[in-house]
Amino acid sequence: MVGKRSLSMSFLVYGGLLFWLVIASLPVVWTAIISFRQYVDAFSSPIKWVAPFTIENYTRLWIDKEFYRNFLNTALVTVFTVTISLTVGCLAGYALSRYRGAMGFWLLMVALVFRAIPHSSLLPSFFTIFDALGIRNTYFTLIFVLVAINQPFTIWMLRSFFVNIPNELDEAAQVDGCTRFQAFRRVIIPVMWPGVVTTGLFSFLLAYNDFLLSSALTSGDKMTMPAAIANAITAETEAFLMQGVAGAVSITIPLIILVIVFQKQIVGGLTQGAVKG
Amino acid sequence: MKTRSFLQFVGPSVAMMVLLLAIPMVTTFYLSVRNCALEMEVVKVEESTPFGNKETITQRAKLGPDGRALEKCEYVGLDYYRKVLGLDTPSAAAMATEPPDGAGQPARAGESADNEFLGALKFTMIYTFTTLPFVLLIGFLLALGVNNVTDRLKGMFITASLLPFIITPVVAALSIKWLFRDNGLVPYLLSNFGIEVFWMAQAWSARLLIIVYGIWHVVPFAFIVLYAGLQSVPQDALEAATIDGATRWQKLRYVTVPHLMPLIVFITLIHLMDAYRVFEPVIVLTQGAFTTSVQYLTYHILLLENNPYKASAAAVLTLAGIVVLLIPLLVRTWREQKGGV
Repeated sequence: MVGKRSLSMSFLVYGGLLFWLVIASLPVVWTAIISFRQYVDAFSSPIKWVAPFTIENYTRLWIDKEFYRNFLNTALVTVFTVTISLTVGCLAGYALSRYRGAMGFWLLMVALVFRAIPHSSLLPSFFTIFDALGIRNTYFTLIFVLVAINQPFTIWMLRSFFVNIPNELDEAAQVDGCTRFQAFRRVIIPVMWPGVVTTGLFSFLLAYNDFLLSSALTSGDKMTMPAAIANAITAETEAFLMQGVAGAVSITIPLIILVIVFQKQIVGGLTQGAVKG
Repeated sequence: MKTRSFLQFVGPSVAMMVLLLAIPMVTTFYLSVRNCALEMEVVKVEESTPFGNKETITQRAKLGPDGRALEKCEYVGLDYYRKVLGLDTPSAAAMATEPPDGAGQPARAGESADNEFLGALKFTMIYTFTTLPFVLLIGFLLALGVNNVTDRLKGMFITASLLPFIITPVVAALSIKWLFRDNGLVPYLLSNFGIEVFWMAQAWSARLLIIVYGIWHVVPFAFIVLYAGLQSVPQDALEAATIDGATRWQKLRYVTVPHLMPLIVFITLIHLMDAYRVFEPVIVLTQGAFTTSVQYLTYHILLLENNPYKASAAAVLTLAGIVVLLIPLLVRTWREQKGGV
């Protein structure tokens, strides 16, 4: 078997994988490269492979345009969304993994339907309801909307982790005099950490990457980073466009760090649902 | 677990979903059959000019006692559904009956081109079903490829190929836009082969870009799920097949693929659900000019046409669509949960 065929085969395999790596990273890498250029060097014909280096786009964006505000808004919204999602989700996920009645099953089915809701379908009523209550452009509203959008996915995923923790553990704790809630808090959650971290990562990605709801529900100084970058969609003036490029790179850097640190958990989370169905 | 404590534990989660998902959906339905318009009143305005007093009659919005403009809301039935679907509204139909039949025809033909929802649905479906085979095929090939690579490279490769999947969609779509823009990298590379396309200026190329984005974005997910599946392919079955003289292709076709089938179904269902919601590439790459997706349509009517009632009608139709799409997934989950528990 080891011969010409296997050599050409492995050439094909490595070639193919390398090709995918180039395709997968090209948009990000090229955006990063041109973010350190003036407009005339970033978009030119013919393309310039080497051009003078400048951080002007970044200083304009972060200092003059006060992008740090958007960064802080995103940080605030994601931290609270993840914390509340996990707290509320852990309670529900745990109950769903321990309860044997038909109600649990129905709740899971409804959650599955909710997971599929196109978010823009909710916007007309969000606008109407939040305007009537006068709470449209607030952090509080955006956080709770994101938590609710996150819930169906969160409870499904957490439930699949809780199912793997043997019921005997709860029973032992209860025999020792814990209430249901104490057993959950002191015995189950400490064993659940890996599952909580993985689910938290996906909640984070959902809140951090959200564009549709964030851009529709926040404005002015409450905008998150993806909402703020929306200007770049239509911007054709040079300065605006280059700030958009710098903003795109700024949004991506935390995500790259996240993937490098938590690669195992993300891969685990993606396959978790698959293996369980 | 007792029902009572079950309810206590799921309470907060259910409350959130009811308040912010279920109630808004019902409200959407309510809004979709209504319309509110500013109440207008006719006023006489007296102007004193050097040449004497002048009276003009104009309309202005009626103000309530609190100084806010008064709105008149009424039940309009399915009017907005007809509008979104490009059918004649009753009032328009009434007007159309006035001239003889011949004159009515062209107007109607013009309006059927305005069938916004079906147009959006059509592109959403094209997007879903053109991306799906590529996502599965490329994901499967990558999984097979990585399976044959040394362990140290595997980790690096998986990390790098996760990037398109976790990157902020609006940023990813913008990056692709900048890559394909005039004076961008890709048009330059293509021009070396004599291909000149203004990618964002024509419908077909803008649509192609959206589809390319879709494939690029979802391939890592398919790859990782299938790669995990490959780790559990029964080795003894593969060995038995080798002993029986099966070729590499036959082993793939009769052992590996059947083993991965449940995962392929899983990826397909998740992709159907997510592709139906395609939004960011549509708004970024075309700004809705050539092509709309169902999710973009509602957004556009709400924020650009500024009509929450018509947007609600589009939203209700969108929700009806997802329910139809979800039936196979629900049936599958139903069977599994019933069997599993």
